[in-house]
Amino acid sequence: MVSVINTVDTSHEDMIHDAQMDYYGTRLATCSSDRSVKIFDVRNGGQILIADLRGHEGPVWQVAWAHPMYGNILASCSYDRKVIIWKEENGTWEKTYEYTGHDSSVNSVCWAPHDYGLILACGSSDGAISLLSYTGDGQWEVKKISNAHTIGCNAVSWAPAVVPGSLIEQPSGQKPNYIKRFASGGCDNLVKIWKEEDGQWKEEQKLEAHSDWVRDVAWAPSIGLPTSTMASCSQDGRVFIWTCDDASGNSWSPKLLHKFNDVVWHVSWSITANILAVSGGDNKVTLWKESVDGLWVCISDVNKGQGAVSAITEGQQNEQ
Amino acid sequence: MEELDVEPALTLVPGVAPGRGRLHFQWGPGEMLVCEAAFPGAGHGEKGPGCPYIHVLRKDQDIHLHTLRKLFNESHGIFVGLQRSDEELSGKSKKAQLVGVSKNYRSVIRACMEDMHQMAISTRDPALHNQYSTQVSILSAMELIWNLCEILFVEVAPAGHLLLHLLDWVRLHVCDVDNMVREVLSSENPSKHELFWNVVDIFVLQGRMEDARHLLSKEATANPTSKGMCKILDDLMKKMPVLGLGNTQTLTEMELKWQHWHEECQRYLQDGTFASNPHMESICKILLGDENAILEKKELMTTWYHFLVTHLLYSHPAVKPVELRFYAQSSLDQFLGGENSPEPLDTILMAAFEFEIHQVIKECSIALSNWWFVAHLTDLLDHCKLLQSHNLYFGSNMREFLLLEYASGLFSHHSLWQLGVDYFDHCSEYGRVYLELHIERIPLTTEQKALKVLRICEQRQMHEQVRSICKIMAMKALRNNRLGSALSWSIRAKDAAFATLISDRFLKDYCERGSFSDLDLIDNLGPSMLLSDRLTFLGKYREFHRLYGEKRFSEAAKLLLMLMTAHIAPCSFWMTLLTDALPLLEQKEVIFSAEQTYELMRCLEDLTAGKLDNQKLQDDDIETTKVEMLRLAFARNLARAIVKEGTLEGS
Repeated sequence: MVSVINTVDTSHEDMIHDAQMDYYGTRLATCSSDRSVKIFDVRNGGQILIADLRGHEGPVWQVAWAHPMYGNILASCSYDRKVIIWKEENGTWEKTYEYTGHDSSVNSVCWAPHDYGLILACGSSDGAISLLSYTGDGQWEVKKISNAHTIGCNAVSWAPAVVPGSLIEQPSGQKPNYIKRFASGGCDNLVKIWKEEDGQWKEEQKLEAHSDWVRDVAWAPSIGLPTSTMASCSQDGRVFIWTCDDASGNSWSPKLLHKFNDVVWHVSWSITANILAVSGGDNKVTLWKESVDGLWVCISDVNKGQGAVSAITEGQQNEQ
Repeated sequence: MEELDVEPALTLVPGVAPGRGRLHFQWGPGEMLVCEAAFPGAGHGEKGPGCPYIHVLRKDQDIHLHTLRKLFNESHGIFVGLQRSDEELSGKSKKAQLVGVSKNYRSVIRACMEDMHQMAISTRDPALHNQYSTQVSILSAMELIWNLCEILFVEVAPAGHLLLHLLDWVRLHVCDVDNMVREVLSSENPSKHELFWNVVDIFVLQGRMEDARHLLSKEATANPTSKGMCKILDDLMKKMPVLGLGNTQTLTEMELKWQHWHEECQRYLQDGTFASNPHMESICKILLGDENAILEKKELMTTWYHFLVTHLLYSHPAVKPVELRFYAQSSLDQFLGGENSPEPLDTILMAAFEFEIHQVIKECSIALSNWWFVAHLTDLLDHCKLLQSHNLYFGSNMREFLLLEYASGLFSHHSLWQLGVDYFDHCSEYGRVYLELHIERIPLTTEQKALKVLRICEQRQMHEQVRSICKIMAMKALRNNRLGSALSWSIRAKDAAFATLISDRFLKDYCERGSFSDLDLIDNLGPSMLLSDRLTFLGKYREFHRLYGEKRFSEAAKLLLMLMTAHIAPCSFWMTLLTDALPLLEQKEVIFSAEQTYELMRCLEDLTAGKLDNQKLQDDDIETTKVEMLRLAFARNLARAIVKEGTLEGS
């Protein structure tokens, strides 16, 4: 049974563009057209404003929490072409780094799996994707992929870290040989997969299926299967599920989840990758699960309504 | 190909005006976030108040009801016990064991029901009262269904015994009668009570012959005119053949006897023996299994399954399991009489009578609001080897699928997550990876909690998670300036880089304050000292201080020198080390040998030579003084050492 357990009043003065729970679900970060990023403590159904971060000069589009092993770190990106990384030091939140290398609005930020270190991917309307890597002592190294998508890049999403081959525990201090990959979606209607080779980022795959701007991509968490799964959604109202069966990442095949009547803005996976949430037009969020014969079925609708909350027993799909 | 049988459930979230926003969604680790948002491009430039609310949604709300806590805790114990004991037994004893487990589950449900009932009657808040009462009826339905499944699927009662079990089942679950019975029996003249015949009817409907006869005797004494009829009816009831559980007669024998008895009842009815007393006549008809007569007592039976069992008792007591479905369907239809449609509970029970186990589980999943019931029942039925393995994408069979869902829900709870660990352990295909993904998200609010989580990961060789948790705790400790804690966590994480960082902090603190913190930790590093060079230096440096404190000067001297010559000490620290050598050089006794002194001098020269290149113009006065002091001390010591070594002992 899905029910509303808390309503946080963010007091943002303009439209909210993103809200993210931290790793443990104890803190909530929000960003808005009012140029601010706010952080709330939401434990036990409460809402305490911890920080009101100012620094952007335009609407802030997305926020992303880094893995807690690096401390309390939050990244934000904005129409003002900036990416700001905020850090909590001695109980207060401060700007720790600001990247201004993009020529246009930065639309999406995504932290890499913690196994790779502290690395942030940023997608911008100038068509480039930049990768900011923390090298220590407050220093960040920047790698840029120019012209990743013509007209602009709208979304970036990292693939989960999978160590190729060996399952033996690595001796301490030695980094296993990860193959770093991430996906991006752009205004060229394409989904692209990027792979790091010899310190350089190369375009590994170009996936065509959408007929309009790709608004979001989401790489599913790994549950130990050799297959990779990804979801993409677009202005054309379609959501595709992409799967790649072999470990070398060569053959991706799309499956149409659904064609909606309106733009689909956002797709995201639950932490065990068994449910995909799609927020589409007509003010609805639908939840999807894969059934035994590979079909994706809608298991729940979350709708914005007026008046009293009425939560109806969730139709649990019980596949046979 | 499966189609969704019901429309996906709709959850409405309270919103303000529909507006031009879209509904934004994010997964949290446990809860979900929903808010009105806008997208870049749309809404930009249009000023105006958006909706500043963010709603937090929860999927498995029942997990957080404290009233059900006992249910989850105790059933967990039964579940784990079942998984562990499975391999030992087989055959009859196995079945007995499984029936025992099933009964345990049911008693847990009943205990929970009892508690909730108490809470319902003791609360004064009408809303709470309603909530508790609803919970009680849901639990009651669950126990009803489970009991039937136990009879049909676990016990697998054969013909004959089947009906007896079903009779018990009905008697246990239609409890309204007890009050009525008590009322009548405790009255002065039971047979004059207006509900007297109702009670007799109920006893007959439930096959409680002894009780019925007892009441009849009261009627006989109170009403001499009907004494004769009472005697005959009493006789019939006494003679009714019943297949007792301890009986040695075979089913065929019983059936034969039953046939004769049935014919005898028939004769009495046709003779008009009971014609003058409509109550007793109707009872006789019931004994003959007359459907209409039984149906007339609808209000007393209250449910169609009571009707079914009563009808079977008096018409087909040797009913076989496979025949149940036909009787069940017809009973349901007759009882509802076309006016009402079946409720979800009815559908579930019907599916059980039809032995459609998958259907039972499916219907229960849809009707109930949490996974507890279906997960545990399916697991039990799987142990009875009743479920064919249908491959699902996640969870290789239905049992695992349901257990994964249930356990995942537990992880959103701050303490019940520990139960979830055991459930994941017993999901062979995806249990481990689900556990890995969920256990990382448990907030490590205290050191004890972190240690608890760590222990669980270590027991299962989840090295990645162990490392990750230790790193998180180390970082947390460092942020709160608890260096000792940070160091021990980074050692546990085998994180060399972090250990180096923290060691540097320790050394920096020493330089600033002249003393070490967390001496215990550094003194007892042991082999973990080797994790990083800086850490090794820290440990050895501390050892030097200890040796000095214990006045073991020559050992201290040797160690100090070794730290530089073996390049364990970082260059930046050499000055400090050389300065540390000064007190040793000033001792009355010669501690550094000539050889060692030469080494010391060489170190100093290396150090200053390097410095000269970089800092020609920055000659600190203090630095130069220090260097001069050292050179002097070395020279003096060298002199004394040479003399000492050159002198023969005793002379």
